Amino acid sequence: MRLLRAWGTLTSLSFGRLLWSSSTLMVLLPLAGCLLFVLRRHYDRPDWSTREFREFSEFMILVFASFVIPICALAFGTASIGGDREDRTLVFLLVRPIPRAMVLLAKFTATLPLVMGLVLGSFWLYCRLAGAAGQVAFPLYLPAVTYMTLAYVGLFHLFAVSFRHATIIALIYALFMEVILGNLPGIVKRVAVNYYGRSIMYAAGEPEGLKPPPADWFEPLSVVTATWTLGGIAVGGILLAAAIFARREYRDLT
Amino acid sequence: MQRAGHVHFSDQTHHVAESPMLLVFDQVTKFYGPVIGVNNITCRIGPGITGLLGANGAGKSTLIKLASGQLRPSQGSVRIGDHSAWSTASKDHLGYSPDINSFYEEMTGREFVYAMARLHGFSRAEARQRTEHVLDEVGMAERGDRRLAGCSHGMRQRIKLAQALVHDPWLLLLDEPLSGIDPGGRREINELLFRLAGQGKTILVSSHILVEIEQLAHSILVMSRGRIIASGTLAEVRNLMQTRPLVVEIVATPTRRLAAMLTENPDVLGVEMRDDKLVVKTRNQQQFFEQFGELVCEHGVDVRRIQSLDTGADAVFDYLQQGRT
Repeated sequence: MRLLRAWGTLTSLSFGRLLWSSSTLMVLLPLAGCLLFVLRRHYDRPDWSTREFREFSEFMILVFASFVIPICALAFGTASIGGDREDRTLVFLLVRPIPRAMVLLAKFTATLPLVMGLVLGSFWLYCRLAGAAGQVAFPLYLPAVTYMTLAYVGLFHLFAVSFRHATIIALIYALFMEVILGNLPGIVKRVAVNYYGRSIMYAAGEPEGLKPPPADWFEPLSVVTATWTLGGIAVGGILLAAAIFARREYRDLT
Repeated sequence: MQRAGHVHFSDQTHHVAESPMLLVFDQVTKFYGPVIGVNNITCRIGPGITGLLGANGAGKSTLIKLASGQLRPSQGSVRIGDHSAWSTASKDHLGYSPDINSFYEEMTGREFVYAMARLHGFSRAEARQRTEHVLDEVGMAERGDRRLAGCSHGMRQRIKLAQALVHDPWLLLLDEPLSGIDPGGRREINELLFRLAGQGKTILVSSHILVEIEQLAHSILVMSRGRIIASGTLAEVRNLMQTRPLVVEIVATPTRRLAAMLTENPDVLGVEMRDDKLVVKTRNQQQFFEQFGELVCEHGVDVRRIQSLDTGADAVFDYLQQGRT
């Protein structure tokens, strides 16, 4: 009971600190940018057609899913434990009677609803503002957006426990691996999380008129494989992060 | 009032008996890559206040980090009572005040201590009660609602101490707890630590300032280059330090006559004149100062300044290190 109470305290403490951190400001900028873009493009035309749906989908896939989701996830995912490490306040947590793996899980539990709330909330808002095209898109892309968010949050927690300056490394990953490698032809794109998300999104949108990239270049995975891969990245990332955190010495704290 | 910390120190390989109220280092070595942080340390620290003294880089922080379970020994073991220091179970018995000056700056001191109490699994009511009690103990009850970002260094030190005490551990590890605290506050903190020692708690206080430790601890561990080079009661360690060589700078008149008289002192190894100053090397500072006092009174020497040039912790530790090797 005491352990559960301590864990709950750490989770709510971490949630509050993340919510009122600079990370929130950092993610509000791209989210606001997307909002302005959606408003300006007027996807909500009364005479909407497949074209509006296709354009809105491409924006959601190429900008929101491939860039905004990783930025949101890295801002909070790396800050959850990395922030305490950078601020050198982690030492106050490590001398409490909470197993280290549970400290990491508490951080993950605090981060996930925050990132999910921001990503899914803004996704819902964009779809609402996009009118009929958005209403069609929301249920189609919701699973992919959810799985991608989970995968990124798990992955960036792994970065946070592994690297001293996790935010910088995660940014390099998000901008280089995800954007560049994720769009290269061939097998190399499989290092990018967004490849799996895009595979699901293109498959979901195709019946509604979305044109996926040429199969010989994009080589999409099946929805089932992509979904399991994203789930595996999320669960594997957080379990590996917990295992590393439980064993690792942080010599730079004091 | 109990001042005597119980320390048993040994460099020798032997079995160290476990006790529920001891901090035990058993043949502990810690490597940082190719560099040795601490080197084959065996000691048991029992109830009372024990001072951990050493120059920067001597290994004090590594020892404290090992004891607080932030680091794992490369060889040997560190135990807090029956538990490995690395284990979660040991954290119930351990209160740690780090030497860093980092906090959740957005919180007030009261909120911070309360949050730390909650992280020990106490209910809201109990955490609140404990928070008020320790804030009162460290003299922060009235000032606890200040945001930590706006607190002075001394107030932050007190808050660090409060969060270390909030779960009433029997072992306290305090890394430089008195730095930045004014003399009045230092006296209050010392009294608090004496009181806690009187309750049977084991308190290990690290510092690089001898005077701080002198006022506080009876037992002392002196570290240099990763080893414990001296240990024992304050009197024992002080005696060891007082019989060490020393370089003294003296400004006095008549300078030349004083220099001539000093060269006749068998404890003086050399006298050098630099402008109007004398730089005197002595082999035994205690005897030198006794004889110098007599000389001044007897010959009416006008002493304007006398200053030891190598009384810093480094010099003391270098000397003790030489004695060990």
